[in-house]
Amino acid sequence: MKENAIMNKKIIPAMVLVVLGLVIAIGSQTFLGPCVHEDGSFGACHWAGRALLGVSLLLTAEALLSAILERARFGLCLASALTSALGFLMPGGLIDICKMDTMRCRMVMQPAMRVLFGLALIVSVAGLLKNKGKRGAA
Amino acid sequence: MNWRKLPLKNLTRRPGRTAALMLLTAFLALSVFGGSVVVGSLQSGLNSLEARLGADVIVMPAEAESKVSFKNLLLQGTAGAFYMDASALQRVQEVEGVAQAAPQTFLASLKADCCAVKVQIIGIDPEADFTVKPWIEQSYSRALDDMEVVVGCRVNADVGEDLRIYDLNTHVTARLAETGTGFDTAVYCNMDTMNTLLKAAEEKGVTHKITTDGDDMISAVYVRVADGYDVGKVCNALNGHVRKATAVRAKTMLTGVSDSLAGVSHTVTLLIGAVWLLAIVILLIAYAMMINERRREFAVLRLLGASRKALAALMLKEAALCSLLGGALGVALAAAVVFPFTTLIETKLGLPYLTPNPATVLTLAAVTVLLTLLIGALASAWAAFRLSRSDPGTTLREGA
Repeated sequence: MKENAIMNKKIIPAMVLVVLGLVIAIGSQTFLGPCVHEDGSFGACHWAGRALLGVSLLLTAEALLSAILERARFGLCLASALTSALGFLMPGGLIDICKMDTMRCRMVMQPAMRVLFGLALIVSVAGLLKNKGKRGAA
Repeated sequence: MNWRKLPLKNLTRRPGRTAALMLLTAFLALSVFGGSVVVGSLQSGLNSLEARLGADVIVMPAEAESKVSFKNLLLQGTAGAFYMDASALQRVQEVEGVAQAAPQTFLASLKADCCAVKVQIIGIDPEADFTVKPWIEQSYSRALDDMEVVVGCRVNADVGEDLRIYDLNTHVTARLAETGTGFDTAVYCNMDTMNTLLKAAEEKGVTHKITTDGDDMISAVYVRVADGYDVGKVCNALNGHVRKATAVRAKTMLTGVSDSLAGVSHTVTLLIGAVWLLAIVILLIAYAMMINERRREFAVLRLLGASRKALAALMLKEAALCSLLGGALGVALAAAVVFPFTTLIETKLGLPYLTPNPATVLTLAAVTVLLTLLIGALASAWAAFRLSRSDPGTTLREGA
């Protein structure tokens, strides 16, 4: 009983990361998405949005595996932390977005993604600390 | 038993209860800090707009006021263009009481190469100007040459770069400091550059409804009233003397902004008040319930020799720790919501918005955490007072 409770506590960060990953994935294509150009053309921010979708799905998969695979949890938390850092740096850092501050991608997408991936990074580090005893068990 | 470590142990042993109390105080801190930063930013924005406007009266084409485009241009940087005959400047100068009159010409770019939105281009007469020039001089001391531009802080073009407007290259010579107003998204040039751009725009098929040559058109005249003259009377005289134009007192324009700001501040203050009232009541109930639940625990501590004062101190320490962590969490959450989304908040409110300086923000954060600490301590003090009145023997015998 007590072991189960401890077990459940250890997968809390993974479950939070799954939720965050899904929110980012859906958000980056909808309410937190890049600029929509009237003429149907795509700016750089469109591709940044696509890349964010990929990174967020990767984060979700890592978090799901981390919840299931107890022996690999430490390594997967480490991978989640690195993926979150990658997502944090992506809009406007690794991939260009529109230059004007009042554009949607700068006003909404970039700050929202930085806040969400920043949160994911904090949760991943918390997961790492919670599972540090599992290091080397895999 | 280590009495000094007991408050922390009590909190960590019951993570659910601690988390609930922390979340409640975090919510309190979030509402106070977030609300205060938004209201403070609006106030800074209004002060900045007042300082930047610098004119007593603004004369603009009648159509500009009917479209409310001038106000939107000032506050939100909405690109707009409206014109009147340049002879309006002469008519303005003829009115008694006008000390200085500076013309400005506006042009909305189709699509600057920096981005996919229109940029407001403002042409100024460097010799007559008294509104924008002092502000530009803070960043750029030389006079603007032909095809040279100065950009607002939100136009993404660096000094030394070329900004392409209507297929013409303009050279960026300076970036201006942030004002939190529509001026931040504008590009400034001299009148000769503006006339060249107006012609380039015409060639691109952009009609400006200009009836005469582009060189004879202006969009607004900023007026400074001479000392000893009544601004209202000069404004009325301008309205009577300049045809097809409207003279508006800058103060009247700002009064509208100030009223909107007062409305937003009032709503935010009311919301903060309601949140605080609700949170204080919930905290009082939460601590009262917690004391009730822990009566046996406290009775045992009393029988082990802990004084009433020591128990009250234990309660206060637990509450202070919870409030401190909750307050810090709330401030961090509010910061994560308010600061990254500054441009979005400004756009949605449609009011000048300038984030206060870091020292003010840090002071606000410290005051917020102290306030939550105080509220937590007060709520637990009442519970501690109730606890000190109960008899431990009776509590244990009752089996509560």
